[in-house]
Amino acid sequence: MSEPASSGAVRFQAPRRLFSTLEGVFNEELFFLILSVFIGIFSGLAVVCFRLAIDWMHLALLGPLPQTHGWRMFAVPSLAGLVVAALVLNVFPAIRGSGVNQTKAALYIYNGFIPFRTAIGKFICAAIAIGSGQSLGPEDPSLQIGAGIASALGRQLEISREKLRLMAPVGAAAGLAAAFNAPISAVLFVIEEVIGRWSAGILGSVVLSAVSSVVIVRWFLGSEPLFRIPVTTFKRPTELLAYAVLGIVGGVASVVFAKSIGYLRPRLKALPRWTQYFQPALAGLLIGLIAFLGAPQIMGAGYDSMDQAMHGQYAWKVLAILAVLKILATTVSFVSGAPGGMFAPTLFVGAMLGGAVGDIERIFFPQLTGSTGTYVLVGMDVLFAGFLRVPMTSVFMVLEVSGNYEIIVPVIVANTFSYLISRSLQTVPIFDMLTRQDGLILPSLEEDREEAILRVEDAMLPAPATILNAQDYVDANARRVQDSTDPNFLVRMHPSGWNIISRDQLQRLFREGKGEHTLGSVLPPQPLPSLYPDLPLDSALRYVNDYSLVPVVNRANSRKLEGVISRDSVFKRYESPRTPVGV
Amino acid sequence: MSWSFPKLIPRSAPIILLVLTLAAATGFAAVSHLVARYNANQQSRGRKLYQQGLADASANHYNDAIDAFRAALTCDPTNSQYQLSLARALRDSNDPRRLDEAKSYLITLWQRAPQDAAVNLALARVDAHRGSIEDATRYYHNAMYGVWNSNPDSNRSKARIELIQFLLKQGAPDKAAPELLALATALPPTPAAHLQAAQLFSQAQDHAGELAQYEEALRLDPANSAALAGAGQAAYRSGDYFAAHRYLLSAVNANPQDADSRQLLATTDLILRNDPFLSHVSDAERNRRITTAFTQAEKRLSECAQQTGVDLKAAATPTASALFALQSLWTEAKPDLTRLRSPAETDLPDAIMDVVFQIEQQTAATCGQPQGLDLALLMISQKREAASQ
Repeated sequence: MSEPASSGAVRFQAPRRLFSTLEGVFNEELFFLILSVFIGIFSGLAVVCFRLAIDWMHLALLGPLPQTHGWRMFAVPSLAGLVVAALVLNVFPAIRGSGVNQTKAALYIYNGFIPFRTAIGKFICAAIAIGSGQSLGPEDPSLQIGAGIASALGRQLEISREKLRLMAPVGAAAGLAAAFNAPISAVLFVIEEVIGRWSAGILGSVVLSAVSSVVIVRWFLGSEPLFRIPVTTFKRPTELLAYAVLGIVGGVASVVFAKSIGYLRPRLKALPRWTQYFQPALAGLLIGLIAFLGAPQIMGAGYDSMDQAMHGQYAWKVLAILAVLKILATTVSFVSGAPGGMFAPTLFVGAMLGGAVGDIERIFFPQLTGSTGTYVLVGMDVLFAGFLRVPMTSVFMVLEVSGNYEIIVPVIVANTFSYLISRSLQTVPIFDMLTRQDGLILPSLEEDREEAILRVEDAMLPAPATILNAQDYVDANARRVQDSTDPNFLVRMHPSGWNIISRDQLQRLFREGKGEHTLGSVLPPQPLPSLYPDLPLDSALRYVNDYSLVPVVNRANSRKLEGVISRDSVFKRYESPRTPVGV
Repeated sequence: MSWSFPKLIPRSAPIILLVLTLAAATGFAAVSHLVARYNANQQSRGRKLYQQGLADASANHYNDAIDAFRAALTCDPTNSQYQLSLARALRDSNDPRRLDEAKSYLITLWQRAPQDAAVNLALARVDAHRGSIEDATRYYHNAMYGVWNSNPDSNRSKARIELIQFLLKQGAPDKAAPELLALATALPPTPAAHLQAAQLFSQAQDHAGELAQYEEALRLDPANSAALAGAGQAAYRSGDYFAAHRYLLSAVNANPQDADSRQLLATTDLILRNDPFLSHVSDAERNRRITTAFTQAEKRLSECAQQTGVDLKAAATPTASALFALQSLWTEAKPDLTRLRSPAETDLPDAIMDVVFQIEQQTAATCGQPQGLDLALLMISQKREAASQ
């Protein structure tokens, strides 16, 4: 009878041992990395469903052809606007607008908390709004859906608050990468706009989630880019002037676009609540009328029209009119409170503007070699850099989407002009402006860039005249400090490192008869921490309380003393951040 | 309304990962099912739109066809057939702005299957529309050596013929010549194929090659009247008047309604009866022919002067100086006719005939293509000129 029981026990011991071994393997960092992959998978699946939902909604509401005709054009966006408004006001109050700033707020204010209801509401309402023709895009909602899924998963798993806070950007990167089919741009955008600062700690997770979500989307929807990339050419450096002009025009258009939203949004929000039930419907009616009167391209995200503009299907006048109408349509859609993103409309406006500027330039300068498609592609990035104010993302986006490095120089030149003009005419970037209109102040990479960073060298005092040597005898060192008034002395250790000794300690050692010992042999083995001149001054704070002097050494030669830091010098530097300590 | 989840997952890393894996697999299966249904619906809709587009394209309603193909592509964006048809419709819509888009679709397809002959042929035609000889030639060659789904030999031959026609249209017969030679070696053994090739050789001004193709067609079908007429014309153009006479006579016998061949036969007959330099002609006959030609030349000169309103007996004017010069030449040469019989005057026939040829050529340039004996003399002069070169 005992035989079977014994074999059964053996049978269950092996899995238990494996289980306990696995338990030991997973620390929180590793677990978080693996979790990022799952966040990417779930976000990718959600974005696939979201894109199908938009397409289904478009088919059901506007019909099968790409360009709908007749009464549906203005009836559908209006009626769908009423439905969306009712849902937003009564069921999903947190889903208005883009979702980028809400995700950022979740990271910095709500400890990574995004209600799962927000993700569901964003999915449903954005699908209705975009599918019915509101001039909005699916990328920003995808970002928020991804962040919502990640946040819900983090809460479900009861991970630490620190990690839960990071779940939102990880999910946001996954959602955006899936929507754009471009993982690098998504990672950069999340760093530039959502996290708002370069943080190596989260980079691995963001990359993993973005890549895994893109794999899922490509598995289901294929790896085709959002539009067919035309043949792009850049032959003569003098043509950069033409792209600079495009950058200037794009910068001005970005400012007009951002200021329109910034002006109208708070005013419409301030209107009585009952009017908010009709705002998306009125926006839909206006968009429908524009479409009915001859510009159906402005409805929805508009990727088909961008594709056609890229291949020279529109004359420059049509391109210019479409750019203006799209700014108008997107502004009214967005400020009405309809949920949806601004990425696709931004690309649309940029594409049309780029094509128009390129065609006009070629009329006056026929020798320009860039095709309309090249200008359209550069125009997209110009608006991205100027309107969304994400210069890094915009440059990498064109590389990732086009797979072409030939136009990188025109893109950088045009983006620089657009970005600088936008920054000078519109101090606060669009997403920060939206956040501030909602009463929140969140960190921004652009602000960080402007802020002067204090470094150790700014608070550094000159190296003291008397530096003791660890290889010298205690009595010799005691003689050296006799004429000095300093209370503490740095000791250069052998073969490397630094230590510190006070005048009293040195005299006590001498009195105790240790004069024949080398100084290094009687000092405590714990070395004194040292700093480098280029380190942020914040890093000195952790030492100046414990040590009266902290050596600042040369990075190439740690025995070479550049200066010293003391608590007084650091505090003095913080008290007057504009004046160096030595001055 | 609170939407909080009950805590379903125990806090143990391996179990969490197991549960997440199961959840991902379930989600994957569900989305697969959803996407499959969606794709099936879209493909069905795409097929209908595609058929509509094909009907529009075959009715030359290219704008409607483009809309339909675009709509079909929104349903099934990666469908190569839809892309190819859209590209063809864009190309055939006669809108130069659409060629870029057509090429973009085709390049996408080409990148996916560079060996696809149909795609290469479509690309070649786009570049041919643009007049880009180098690119079009490259894609035509790709089409010739690429993979055809059906009738590879026939399709390759058609692609080469299209390339030759394109090159000839672009005024590049030197580039067409090697293609013609390659075409000639790979033609199917049918008279029709050789007749078509002969026409291409004719367009390329390669009359020897043209004649060879007609002769090959006649070898396969000796009674083929088109081949007989073509061979006669080719031989005539290449200066082989004996062969031309033989073929044209057969062509007229085979098809008495063939007025062109009949007229050409008459001219050929006149050439053979009036050419003083033919090897079998006796001295007496040669002298007779030279005299006839000389007399005819003077007649032609007078007629041309009359036609252009020039009075050869009046004082010379700058505009009519060429005709006056010819008149002087003729008058100077006339006494030489009497010395033709002298065996010592070996260069005299050539000298007299040079005057005749100059008159025929100049009057042809001034008064237009002659008829009858004048045409025969002009052809003899051209043959003589070609032989001397």
